Amino acid sequence: MLVLTRKSGEGIVLGDDITIKIIELKGGGVRIGIDAPRDKKIYRQEVYDRIIEENKMATQWDMDTLVSLSTNLSTEKKDK
Amino acid sequence: MKTIQTRFGEVEYDPANLLHFPAGMIGFPTLHNFIVMPNKKEGPLFWIQSIDDPAIAFVLTDPSNFFPNYQVAPEESEKNSLQISDDDDCFVLSVVTVPPDQKITLNLAAPILFSPKTNRAIQVILENTEYQSKTPLPA
Repeated sequence: MLVLTRKSGEGIVLGDDITIKIIELKGGGVRIGIDAPRDKKIYRQEVYDRIIEENKMATQWDMDTLVSLSTNLSTEKKDK
Repeated sequence: MKTIQTRFGEVEYDPANLLHFPAGMIGFPTLHNFIVMPNKKEGPLFWIQSIDDPAIAFVLTDPSNFFPNYQVAPEESEKNSLQISDDDDCFVLSVVTVPPDQKITLNLAAPILFSPKTNRAIQVILENTEYQSKTPLPA
């Protein structure tokens, strides 16, 4: 990983269309400003990682559970 | 028709009729094409089977079956990925996590947007939302 030291107000340019700026350092946190094209998705890493984890868990199912679940769910619907 | 061996046995599919994820699912960027499998049973759940990796399959549902007020509108860049215009339909699907205890959860934080016109789909992450990636079914 490339590691750079930046001060408040300084920035980093990624490629032709992304600029990252250190806005402020405060209370152990860093406020960061990002300029990027609208179609570039930007996520907090823990949010992104959580979705990856959830997707991985979602691949771990078996047909027997699904079949019996489907039976229960469609019976519940009919009961309503 | 073609066939693949999946962990659920042999599956026959029409290569011309696949669900295409241009960016894959999140965490699975290389899986672009899925077969939509009809559920053997009645009910709101169905599943999609990757043809790029036969070990990977996701259970999906229309979240409005359980959460009538849940709505997600595609952004401009997402419409581009789906290759649709403003007048085209865009459906929302949720990934279902099915643990052995059957207490299923819906990932409402990262829905799949699907265009029936282009057969394209993308998974998006909702920002600034109260929706959870592990939402239990309403009581």
